[in-house]
Amino acid sequence: MITILHAGVVDRELLVWAERSIDTATTSNEGPSARGRGAARIELRAHPFAATLEQIEAALAALGGSFARVKPRRRTRAQPKRARPRRAPATTVIDARDVVRSVWLPTYGGAPAPSSPLLGELPATRAKPSLAPWTVEYGSFDADAAIELLSCVADQRTLASGIVVGTDLAFWARTLRFAGDLVARQRFVPSVAGSPAALRAVWQPVLGPDDQARLTQLVAQMPPAARAWSESELTAPACKRSAPARSLVESLLGAWVDQLVRSSIADAELASAPTRVATRLNAARFHSTHDHWLHALGTADGHLELSAADASALAQQVDAWRRPLAHADAAPYRLCLRLEEPGTHDTDEDEAPRRALNLRDGRDHRAAQAAWYVRFLVQPADDPSLLVPAEEVWKTRGRKLASLRRGDADVRTFVLAALGQAATLCPQIRASLDASAPAGHALDVAGAHAFLTERSLVLEEAGFRVLLPAWWTRRGTKQRVVVRAHVPSSKLRAESQLSLRRIVSFDWQVALQGETMTLKELEQLARLKAPLVQRRGQWIEINPEEIRAAIDFWKKHKTQKIELAGLVRLALGAEAPGVPLPFEGVTAEGAVGELLARLEGHRALTAQAMPTTFCGTLRPYQARGYAWLAFLRELGLGACLADDMGLGKTVQTLALLMREREQGERRPVLLVCPTSVVQNWQHEATRFAPELSVLVHHGVGRAKGASFRREASKHGLVVSSYGLLHRDLTHFEKVDWAGVVLDEAQNIKNASTQQSHAARKLSADYRIALTGTPVENHVGDLWSIMEFLNPGWLGTQTAFRKRFLLPIQSGRDPDAADRLRRITSPFVLRRLKSDRAIIADLPDKLESQVYCTLTREQASLYRAITREAEASLRQLDGMKRKGVILATLSKLKQVCNHPAQLLGDGSALAGRSGKLARLTEMLGEVLSVGDRALVFSQFSEMGGLLKRHLQEVTGQEVLFLHGGVTRSKRDQMIRRFQDKDGPQIFLLSLKAGGTGLNLTRANHVFHFDRWWNPAVENQATDRAFRIGQTRSVQVHKFVCAGTCEEAIAEMIERKQKVADRVVSNGESWLTELSNAELRKVFELRSSALGD
Amino acid sequence: MARRKRRRSRMQRFGDSGWFPPSVPRSVKGGIKARNQRGAFGESWWGRRWIDTLESFDLGARLERGRHYARAGQVTRIDVQKGQIDARVQGSRRTPYRVKIGLAPLTRATWRRIAKRWTERAAVRAQLLTGQMPSEIEADFAACAAALFPKAGTDLNTECSCPDWSNPCKHIAAVYYLLSEEFDRDPFLIFQLRGLARSELTELLVGSDAEKRRPATTNVEPALESTRKPQRRRGTKAAASEPRSNTVEPALPLDPAAFWAVPVIAHAADSALPQPMAGERSIHGALLLRRLGGFPFWRGTHDFMASLDPIYARAAQAALELGALGTVPEADDTE
Repeated sequence: MITILHAGVVDRELLVWAERSIDTATTSNEGPSARGRGAARIELRAHPFAATLEQIEAALAALGGSFARVKPRRRTRAQPKRARPRRAPATTVIDARDVVRSVWLPTYGGAPAPSSPLLGELPATRAKPSLAPWTVEYGSFDADAAIELLSCVADQRTLASGIVVGTDLAFWARTLRFAGDLVARQRFVPSVAGSPAALRAVWQPVLGPDDQARLTQLVAQMPPAARAWSESELTAPACKRSAPARSLVESLLGAWVDQLVRSSIADAELASAPTRVATRLNAARFHSTHDHWLHALGTADGHLELSAADASALAQQVDAWRRPLAHADAAPYRLCLRLEEPGTHDTDEDEAPRRALNLRDGRDHRAAQAAWYVRFLVQPADDPSLLVPAEEVWKTRGRKLASLRRGDADVRTFVLAALGQAATLCPQIRASLDASAPAGHALDVAGAHAFLTERSLVLEEAGFRVLLPAWWTRRGTKQRVVVRAHVPSSKLRAESQLSLRRIVSFDWQVALQGETMTLKELEQLARLKAPLVQRRGQWIEINPEEIRAAIDFWKKHKTQKIELAGLVRLALGAEAPGVPLPFEGVTAEGAVGELLARLEGHRALTAQAMPTTFCGTLRPYQARGYAWLAFLRELGLGACLADDMGLGKTVQTLALLMREREQGERRPVLLVCPTSVVQNWQHEATRFAPELSVLVHHGVGRAKGASFRREASKHGLVVSSYGLLHRDLTHFEKVDWAGVVLDEAQNIKNASTQQSHAARKLSADYRIALTGTPVENHVGDLWSIMEFLNPGWLGTQTAFRKRFLLPIQSGRDPDAADRLRRITSPFVLRRLKSDRAIIADLPDKLESQVYCTLTREQASLYRAITREAEASLRQLDGMKRKGVILATLSKLKQVCNHPAQLLGDGSALAGRSGKLARLTEMLGEVLSVGDRALVFSQFSEMGGLLKRHLQEVTGQEVLFLHGGVTRSKRDQMIRRFQDKDGPQIFLLSLKAGGTGLNLTRANHVFHFDRWWNPAVENQATDRAFRIGQTRSVQVHKFVCAGTCEEAIAEMIERKQKVADRVVSNGESWLTELSNAELRKVFELRSSALGD
Repeated sequence: MARRKRRRSRMQRFGDSGWFPPSVPRSVKGGIKARNQRGAFGESWWGRRWIDTLESFDLGARLERGRHYARAGQVTRIDVQKGQIDARVQGSRRTPYRVKIGLAPLTRATWRRIAKRWTERAAVRAQLLTGQMPSEIEADFAACAAALFPKAGTDLNTECSCPDWSNPCKHIAAVYYLLSEEFDRDPFLIFQLRGLARSELTELLVGSDAEKRRPATTNVEPALESTRKPQRRRGTKAAASEPRSNTVEPALPLDPAAFWAVPVIAHAADSALPQPMAGERSIHGALLLRRLGGFPFWRGTHDFMASLDPIYARAAQAALELGALGTVPEADDTE
């Protein structure tokens, strides 16, 4: 069942309604339909697949408890009589509920078109759709509730399985983000709204020119559906024009900004404290209307109880107060201020006015030349590339002036008004206004420094554009006096001698422009009075206090000793404690230098010899990954290998484990992974590291306590699942682990879950996290994984949130993301399939078997089928025996796919099949990196189940091609899949989709079940691997471990003879096996069970 | 209640002769308090000039009392109208005194003559628009045989319902001081007092400019009375809202695919909203408030800015947190 949440806006309230998947039997054919058509008047018909209010509430419950507060809005207007239907019950308005309202939707014949293919197909009719009103039930969200709802919806495609966020709802979430951004930048002012009779105190957003541009863009991205609500049901013709998009967005921005500010006001905040005891607002309780106003700015509804005269007086005052804003922000221009260095600004020929100004200021020409200058420029809002100096504006004519003409707007008036405002922030500008034609103002060095460091920020903040010299805006540490730590070459020669515990000594150095400075030079600098100094042709900011502090610091700490770990931390950008100057980092010579260079990726790692006990060859990039893992392991640092799916994280890890064992490691390694890949690990280990004994710690019969410790120490690798990580933590903690590996480490991205806590509690010599999802894109997830790998590296979670997460997410500090990348990059290795270096190493086609487990339900069904088959096989022969064998095989395959496929009962899907779980996980990765996949199954029922499940989980349309699809539909599907913005997942039944199609958009092919006929499978695979395919194609063949699927796969691999027969005969060769052989094939081995 | 109303020349002033002890005003809540709490009033030259007129009257101790009244918030209302100021001042009696300050408005013809002089000088015009009053304009008034500020005694007509015999009394002085602060903030009020409403002034200033730019309309008199809305605002507003008004709101599409989809924007680069400028990151300090300055005739118990500053800081922080909402679980430090 899919529920798509929609939202429209009426009266500044968010109205949330939902569509539910059409039950194939009950849809469009019956219903309101054609009978009502042709009538001139508007009829209100109930939307046939809209959710009820209870269903909407249930859907939102996925967001947590607080959403039980969907408020149905009582309709005050009486239900119009003529809307009451007299005929078919299907056109009944559910007006008893008082929670319906009509929304105008594209309609074919008698039914509204579904918003998404997730819900069903559009009718095949060629008829032109029309817009018609459909009544739906809805939940009404005032500003407070809407903010709560939308902040949960942001960036989500689904809220829970089957609860999909519609494009319109997502749009309102973006609008909220804009409102939040305005508030975060303090772009709001207190104001009043409403008529004098019902005046309210409100906070109003103030949009500067940039914000206006952003708003225009936001509005342009509004899906038409978001404005499909009518103010009143009976205004059809007007409704077709719909509510104007911009005013809808503006009204909501206003409401949300108001609410955001209002709700942040604590009780004590608005000063009129003594009056707050009053339970009812009463003007008389306030000393003045202004106190009343301030108070109401913090109340829930902002209601003001004022006489009409007082109200209009207040409104007038507010208006007078805000007037300067209205003027500056509505203008089609922007005032820019450009700081020009001495010597750069008077080469220009148009300088006469400025010179005149300076002369009038009583300076001689020479002084003017040596001065810094802030030039006033005008920029049209619609053409930021145009910058016209203000002196042009004062001229009566000129080409440049003409280029500024914008409608009726008077550019001179604007410039002076803007300068008048800037003058309140900057005394020099005020002084410059004394000139008849102000063009700019001069500054001395101290003034220039103040302008760079403070004034420019204030002016920018106030909406003026400030242009600063490039050397300042791109200012790296080179332009400042910095401190760095220097590690001289030591006796340590080889890296192997280095351990992070080792104490190294380093010198503190003070540097400027990349050069180390002597104490004498520093003292000279300290004597300079000017805050900006030109040195070697470059301007440098000098802070005498800082330099004196540096000298003091330096005199005390010439050299210092530190653990190598601490030094590495410093080198990677941690803050140096107690250093009074900007800290630039670590320079090092010798072995430590080598180490740092490698860590930071500046120098290639030395290749590591492959362990002899590792069976297989690593591709070049895998060998690099292996060397990297080994390098970090040597240092005792945790590593996160985040290669794209299919690049071989497993083999790189196994290679490392074997290397460890060859170097004498005897303790076991704990590997934690999702249940669905436990078998996969076992198989990969057997294949690539046959000498590594693997203990699968899983299932009911797993060892515990002392016996587990004994068992574990006998093995090289213990594989367990996240579910058990927490439950069996006490057993795990008692084992002396050589290392801990977390596969699909995104499972611990939420630091507060029990399994994350458990993961952090395990102690081991080294830690590895494997994940295929782009960790770097989810800043919030990074902390937990890093805390597991290298505890304490990113500080406490609170500190991390403050230092990185909030600045990055609010987009306020572009450097924060860089800092975070720098400090984490040594521990994260992520290669993409699309990387040039990787592509060269990849074959065109990468095949792998994906071993899945059975759930307990699957296993018991499986056993029941084999028992039954065994009994009947003993009594049968000939054709009947063949029939039973093939039927049994088919049933077993169905069980392996999903119990629901065998039972055919339409029951729930999630959590009942190992294969389905694994497929869902893998497709999740495929989708997260924007890849596309083909999924083949030989059972078209299974395809139907998969489609349903995948659509619910991903919230995206999934195509499904099976034998019943018409030719034109099929062509349409193929076209859509190949399209740039088409669906990302394409399900095909092996028979219908095995041949003749060209689906090169896909670079993943999944075989959900097996046909045991390589030729057929390859043909299917080749749909993606065809001319036009530019990427390497990954083929994932699903096999349930310990079942007939695995047994048959092994037989085919072992016996070439069998394989030949397979090619020719499909599955019928199985019928020629003896009963004993068959029993072996069908038998359920212990490795099958997942939990 | 019978109210004694006296109208007297300002020359009669023998009230402060020490016969009565100085009365103590009743304390009042919610009055207009002078922002200036010490030193001289009149930040701008025009505000200063206004005060000069008052102080030229030789009021003696009443000036100091008036300043005290202004700072203590004894004035509870000030209305500036054409040619007249109405105010209420709480004195020692229960009923606040009514204060009137009358100043003869200049005639329309005078205003038009003055505006004509400004037409020649863009800088003066524009400075007026920004809320600055260029000092040259006094000369313009003089040239038109008029005066912007009251010359001693001739145009000023003050009255107060207080029992004090002297005029101007301390109540009038208090209103006078507060007015100088409002004039600092908004010099347009002086024009309003002299008979030219703000909208009329802007009309005069900008209308004459528009006239110059459009030769075809040279013969048309700038509409002084007819248009209530200033042309300037209309002009700029129309230009700014151009994308809104000129593009007709597209009707809802009938095609279901287009109906539900996010419209594709022509330029790929525009698909993401532009980020706020990097410069807009570090400091705030409620700059919009700073930019707008004090609130006209503020009567709050507490200072306007001081009341709002913490709200700005807290709201900004709350909004920042909102951005991180839903994506990250709340911090729970296990250390």
